[in-house]
Amino acid sequence: MKPLVIVEASPDTPLVWFDVAIRGGSCTDPLGIEGLHRHAAMLARRGAGRRDRAELDETLDSLGAAVEVGVSRDAVSVAGLALSRHLDQVIDLAADILAEPKFSEDEHARLLRETPQVLDEIRDDDSALATRWFDWLCSPGHPYGRTSLGTETSLTRIDRATATATWKREVVSGNLVIGLAGDVDDASAQRVVTRLTERIPTAERPSVAAELPAREAKGRRMILVDKPDRTQAQIRIGHLSVGYGHPDTAALAIAEAVFGGMFSSRLMQEIRVKRGWSYGAGCALRRSRLPHWFELWMAAGIDVAGPAVALALELFADYANNGPTDDEVDFARSYLVGAMPFHVATARQRMQLAVRDAVFDLPSGFTAQLPEAFAGLSPADVRAACRAHLRPDDAVTVAVTTAEQARGPLEAANAGVLTVVDHDEY
Amino acid sequence: MSMSSLGWKLEAEAPAGRGTTARRYRLSNGLSLITAIDKRAPIVALQTWFRVGSRHERPGATGMAHLFEHLMFGQTESLPPGEFDRLVERTGGESNAATWVDWTYYRLSLPARDLPLGIRLEAERMQHLVLETGPVESERDVVTNERRERVEDDVDGWLDEQLMAHAFTVHPYRWPTIGWMEDIRALSLSEIRAFYRTWYAPNNAVIVCVGDFDEPALLDLIASHYGSIPPAELPAASPITEPEQTRERVVRAPKPIATDRLLVGYKAPGQDEADWAVLEIVATLLAGCPSARLYRRLVIEREVASSVDAQLTPFRDPSLLRLAVTAARGHTADEILGLIDEQLAAMAAQPPSKAEVEKAKAIAETDFWTSLVDIDGKAEAFGHYEAALGDFRKVTQLAERLAQVTAEDVARVVQTYLRPDRRTIVIAEPESGDVADEEDAA
Repeated sequence: MKPLVIVEASPDTPLVWFDVAIRGGSCTDPLGIEGLHRHAAMLARRGAGRRDRAELDETLDSLGAAVEVGVSRDAVSVAGLALSRHLDQVIDLAADILAEPKFSEDEHARLLRETPQVLDEIRDDDSALATRWFDWLCSPGHPYGRTSLGTETSLTRIDRATATATWKREVVSGNLVIGLAGDVDDASAQRVVTRLTERIPTAERPSVAAELPAREAKGRRMILVDKPDRTQAQIRIGHLSVGYGHPDTAALAIAEAVFGGMFSSRLMQEIRVKRGWSYGAGCALRRSRLPHWFELWMAAGIDVAGPAVALALELFADYANNGPTDDEVDFARSYLVGAMPFHVATARQRMQLAVRDAVFDLPSGFTAQLPEAFAGLSPADVRAACRAHLRPDDAVTVAVTTAEQARGPLEAANAGVLTVVDHDEY
Repeated sequence: MSMSSLGWKLEAEAPAGRGTTARRYRLSNGLSLITAIDKRAPIVALQTWFRVGSRHERPGATGMAHLFEHLMFGQTESLPPGEFDRLVERTGGESNAATWVDWTYYRLSLPARDLPLGIRLEAERMQHLVLETGPVESERDVVTNERRERVEDDVDGWLDEQLMAHAFTVHPYRWPTIGWMEDIRALSLSEIRAFYRTWYAPNNAVIVCVGDFDEPALLDLIASHYGSIPPAELPAASPITEPEQTRERVVRAPKPIATDRLLVGYKAPGQDEADWAVLEIVATLLAGCPSARLYRRLVIEREVASSVDAQLTPFRDPSLLRLAVTAARGHTADEILGLIDEQLAAMAAQPPSKAEVEKAKAIAETDFWTSLVDIDGKAEAFGHYEAALGDFRKVTQLAERLAQVTAEDVARVVQTYLRPDRRTIVIAEPESGDVADEEDAA
């Protein structure tokens, strides 16, 4: 079983980007051990082959290169950047990380001490905190509600053996998508792929199921994340919708653009331009393999947080029921078709999009061919998608703000039962 | 028509990456144009840089330059409110703007076929912006909310603002680009209009166009839209001398955060001075990569910090080398400061090895090429160097300066600039009850 390989050559700079995506990601963390995939990936980067962490860092830096690991909901990524004259050396180091990570006991313990401090940094950042709470509570039990970082409790349950086993089970040839972009030709690309994978076990993609909850949450709910001294409310509103690649993906992209994906969109005009309540306001359907959130966001002044939530929900309900006008669909289609060249302008962008499509198990070129899908949609199709996939009556609202000032107006915002939690509870 | 008959003069040209040449032209009314053709994709980056930033404001009217970043998307004599954004978005393009201490710039990313539209829109708003009470008040509300989001409710924004306010005592760099809240609320319509008439003029602007276009056609288009705009009488630029800092300045305040946050700013020379490049290498050696000295010492070996970052501001006048550190649970900013001093003392006393300096240069080389990968990045690089330092060719000249830095240079600039008496320290500490100590972590 060979890995899927994507190459986008471009000789305009002496740089090469590579991205090895390992299917799985944080949505497959075991319940109660959230943070496992991130932990395993971070640990793999901290010493591999014959080099410990310091030697690996020193070698990469001396080459002007970077190899970073990351975890998303659907994949772990080992991604790098190298000057093309150093490409082989950097690829060998990345191959060490993939095939021969040390999983040192010292680094394992250190990482367990470090990660709670990343949680602290999120608690210090209102926008990141709002997103963290919203992800957790939007659709209880959904795999995308599992935090990739973990929690103070789940981190205590991560052991080195489990992290090692997770890495070894998932870093197999059939589970990888390898992207290369930049100053490479066919011969060097072939050489790079061989060097990256020759020490990795040849095996089929492991079967890792991310189970969706049997029942979705119904009715509106609101969570006020209480934090002192706020002058604003960081607000997220949304619900579970569909995955990227659903047959209505193109229609929902148009719907998203009309409601909150452009400066001219309804949310931006009503919240920012007409009322000056927030610097920004928008919405998006999260792009993921499984069904994910349709989400609205804004940061309203604390004095208008209640009216801002009420207005956003009112606009959302109207939009879900009636959808966009014919003119709005025409405008958004024009915007999205015209915007596509900006998303595929560089070799690196094309490679990253292709890797993402592959991780989502979509046909090759799915995203790049969306403009053709936009052309075939009527306004009625978009309105039907709004009615089918937007559910304002089940919207969850999260507001990070100071309860003392904001609680009353938020309770009056018609956002459902309000629960107050402390900002450092999660 | 020939270039000269249109009023253009070719002033400079230089390589702009592999197989690309950048050129600077000037129109007879003083308008500068930088071009670089890149036909990899059917798109263009069209940016208009104005040599006006927050340094050109007066105390009591801070935030004026940034307010224009909002107002310039409003009504003009021929465009009703909202039409600018609608015209751009219908093409699939995007518009945005940024303001900093030395400049303001307006960015359009457009399909190549829509370049004429972009030029028409930019020329229109340079001359015919409508500044009336209603739209100004609406944008004033938006800016106050932007400030709440970026400063009042953001500890990093607060640290940054306090650092500038205390590091500079005379220079206009001391006030925030977004402006003090009370000033934003008080900016008068008459002063807003005067600011526009003073600074938004062809002889104070640099247009940068990078992407897929035909250069003679571009010159023709820009000449036809801008050629008749008269130059403005720009205020004389008098040099501003920030007094030498001779003692350490410290600011502390409680914030609703988990652990101490520390921001230290060391006075550094302006970006055009020779030692700026050396300090850029120093910043990399301190915290610019996983093997950097401060990162290793603070985060990995001693575990007193969860993050450390070093940045050198690219200012025309005195810059700051900034060290930003987040304390680990159970550790304090004061403890971290002591370790920073140890590292700097070691670097001043003993030049780094040649290999260590070469490492920082290799990272700088990668960064240089990375900045030229996409057309927006190229345009931003050219625009910044032309607007702030007077010559877009300094993009590549800086890369050459970085390549020439020696270990002895590093030790010398650390001794010269990174001294306690030249620094300003801002510390945000957890409010009572928010302190997370090691027992909490366990």
